[in-house]
Amino acid sequence: MSAGLRALLVAVVVVLAAAPFGLPPFAMTLLTEALILGLFAMSLDLMFGYTRLVSFGHAAAYGLGAYACGFMLLHTDMPLLFVVFGAALLTGIVAIGVGWICTLATGVSFSMLTLAFAQLLYAISFKWTSVTGGSDGLAGIPRTAGPFGFDALTSKTGFYYLVLACLVGAFLVCFALVRSPFGAVLRGIRENEAKTIALGYNTRLYKIAVVAVAYALGGLAGALYAPFAGFANTELLFWLLSGQVLIMVIVGGSGTLVGPILGAAFFMLMEHQLSSWTEAWALYFGLIFIAFVLFAPQGIWGVATAWLQRSRNPTRAS
Amino acid sequence: MNTLAFLLTQIVNALSQSALLFFLGVGLTLIFGLMRIVNFAHGALYMLGAFVGYSLTKWSGNYWVALAVAPVVVGLFGAAFEFAILRRLYRRDAHAFLMVTFGLALVVGEAVRLTWGPDALQVPAPDLLAGVMFILDEPFPLYRLFLVATGVIVAVAIWQFLERARLGLLIRATSQNADMASALGVDVKRVRSAVFGIGCGLAALGGVLAAPLVTASNGMAATVIIDAFVIVIIGGMGSFLGSLIGALLVGFVQVFGNYYLPDLALAFMYLVMLAILMVRPGGLLGKEA
Amino acid sequence: MALLELDGVTRRYGALVALDQVAMAVEEGEVRAVIGPNGAGKTTLFNVITGTVKPTAGSIRFAGQPIAGLPSHQICRLGLSRTFQITSLFPEMSARENARLSAQARHGRRWQPFGGAHIFEEASARADAALKQLGLSGIADTPAGLLSHGDQRLLEVAMALAQQPRVLLLDEPTQGLSVEETQQAVETLAGFLKTSGMTVLLVEHDMEVVFRLAHRITVLHRGAVIADGAPDAVQADKAVQEAYLGGFE
Repeated sequence: MSAGLRALLVAVVVVLAAAPFGLPPFAMTLLTEALILGLFAMSLDLMFGYTRLVSFGHAAAYGLGAYACGFMLLHTDMPLLFVVFGAALLTGIVAIGVGWICTLATGVSFSMLTLAFAQLLYAISFKWTSVTGGSDGLAGIPRTAGPFGFDALTSKTGFYYLVLACLVGAFLVCFALVRSPFGAVLRGIRENEAKTIALGYNTRLYKIAVVAVAYALGGLAGALYAPFAGFANTELLFWLLSGQVLIMVIVGGSGTLVGPILGAAFFMLMEHQLSSWTEAWALYFGLIFIAFVLFAPQGIWGVATAWLQRSRNPTRAS
Repeated sequence: MNTLAFLLTQIVNALSQSALLFFLGVGLTLIFGLMRIVNFAHGALYMLGAFVGYSLTKWSGNYWVALAVAPVVVGLFGAAFEFAILRRLYRRDAHAFLMVTFGLALVVGEAVRLTWGPDALQVPAPDLLAGVMFILDEPFPLYRLFLVATGVIVAVAIWQFLERARLGLLIRATSQNADMASALGVDVKRVRSAVFGIGCGLAALGGVLAAPLVTASNGMAATVIIDAFVIVIIGGMGSFLGSLIGALLVGFVQVFGNYYLPDLALAFMYLVMLAILMVRPGGLLGKEA
Repeated sequence: MALLELDGVTRRYGALVALDQVAMAVEEGEVRAVIGPNGAGKTTLFNVITGTVKPTAGSIRFAGQPIAGLPSHQICRLGLSRTFQITSLFPEMSARENARLSAQARHGRRWQPFGGAHIFEEASARADAALKQLGLSGIADTPAGLLSHGDQRLLEVAMALAQQPRVLLLDEPTQGLSVEETQQAVETLAGFLKTSGMTVLLVEHDMEVVFRLAHRITVLHRGAVIADGAPDAVQADKAVQEAYLGGFE
């Protein structure tokens, strides 16, 4: 990453940190949700953008994190901070099993297996009423402060800072990951898995590992959503969400980490703007999405960085 | 009620359910076999079929007109979509299709809601099929028996079509090796448009047939697409016989599961699928994935 | 003791016997060519040695250690690196990154999920050395997908070499090249083999290439070894001539 981009990202984080002092509460709610979705989309980018593992069931991570967090907050006195990270960890551990089974297959079959797992959880969430609340879901999820003086995190602004810290932390983790030797192997898998195996890498282990990390971070996003919204319901496990998060990644720009966060923000913005102008917002959103896949597969961030580079070196523009 | 009659009722229910699922699954698998495309819009087109069927029934006052015309309308729409959009993507990787068809699913779903409104619409079964028939003193709804019969007829028709008809031969040749078929003078582009259209038309046929049973509703796309995926994955992507077996398996698991293990019914289908995939990652009749 | 020893190696596909009691021994520092008519089992032999296909029977020893039945990535890590008949590269990575990823596979901490500057440095050094040995230093920063066919074939060899293998397995390194490109590639390979003293097992169709590079030749016919010896002796062998001339009955 160039120094210019790094400075830009630091500036964005500073602006985000200052946001609670300038924005009205309604906008803060939207921003908090956008950051949570951004974290969720970024976690999928590890699989989709960097390893070309196309998960059509990433809602499983989100929903699992949300339900685990919601359940613990409702039924125990454990503090918020502990519960959020515990739920993420739990999601990551479950994901090792999911990854182990799904990586038996490759390509489209892999996508369908991830979808099947998500749907299995969706089915369970309806029936395991004593834990999940069935079709009503879990409601009235509190933000338990706990004994260590984390009260600040339970206020609306405090919770926003928790979300922001999680997003920045997760971004740094992902950033280090994709630039490490491990990340180089992921890139090899993305471009030519057969060759990567021939070079002596046990690619399946790398794939399981990246599934586990992606699910853990997706679970973290879900675990933040439950106390943010105060509820967790079956929609969080539904395949529509899996499709939507994939849209966010692609529209934002896959394989860039930053792009999917932008994609999530764009999605939120479109949902709110379009829905205030027209009842048919989902229709237009679908059309915009199709246009992106057809004409700008590199996404918003890909187009923006290419444009920036071109304007910086006008000689190479042709 | 005696056990035999009860079992028979359940079997007819399962078979009629399987027939509806088969219309979806076979279209999906034909499209996948030929183009390596997972058509995410399949459920939405099924729903579109049901709504178009509703309007045609209302307009003509005759369900049979709807049954004949709606699949053609939706099939043409599918072929047009292939022609206008999908054709641009054959040089890209398989996931571009998954995403574009997901976009199509959103657009169609929304367009249906805007055109026909958010409420579920009743499509009455034709008078001829409205009654019941008594077997072993048990009443069987004629409509379900009709569905079973239609399923058998369509399955045999598709099978014969693939085996005998010229287009069927072209489809099989193109599925096995598109480049070779192209070199031998097959117009692969037109075969693709045709198959995508036929697949979408079959989904719409399922939708029209399902409408009198479950009403035409906005929610019908979301659940049914997953069932269709499960069928195709169980049977093996691209296998005609596989989609038939998958549809029967899922139909029976759903109906009997609902009766005997209502708490697990929904999950049971996915467990069956995972178990099959762990043994045969490519599905029952699919090539190794 | 030979570095690579095969004994009674058999591979059946149903009724078809792809490899029939193959025995051969490759000495350290030797360049061995395996030749034979189409369908003789040359590529199957490679696949069996590198573990992508399991032998039905027989033993394979590498430096005295049995390797038959081990997963291919483990065999690879013991020091057997191969190239493929059909070019297989990472098209969007530069030539250097291709070779670097290959070298990284030999590093004890190749999977490290953070930092790793020193791992990249070591791997890069090996990659650059391998590229230099095959005369590819000039195109190190070009994406592999944009290289000429000849350079892509050589890059495959460089990638195998970057792993510092004890045995290099080359599967038709000039496959798909024009006459001119073949000549260039063969000269580069010959120069490299002369200076490095690398142990090589080579499958090749082109007899000119074989006689230019190989110290010793093994001839396969219908899965069985029918001749084994110095190039001159093999060329004069009656059974070999028959196999090639009568290969299309």
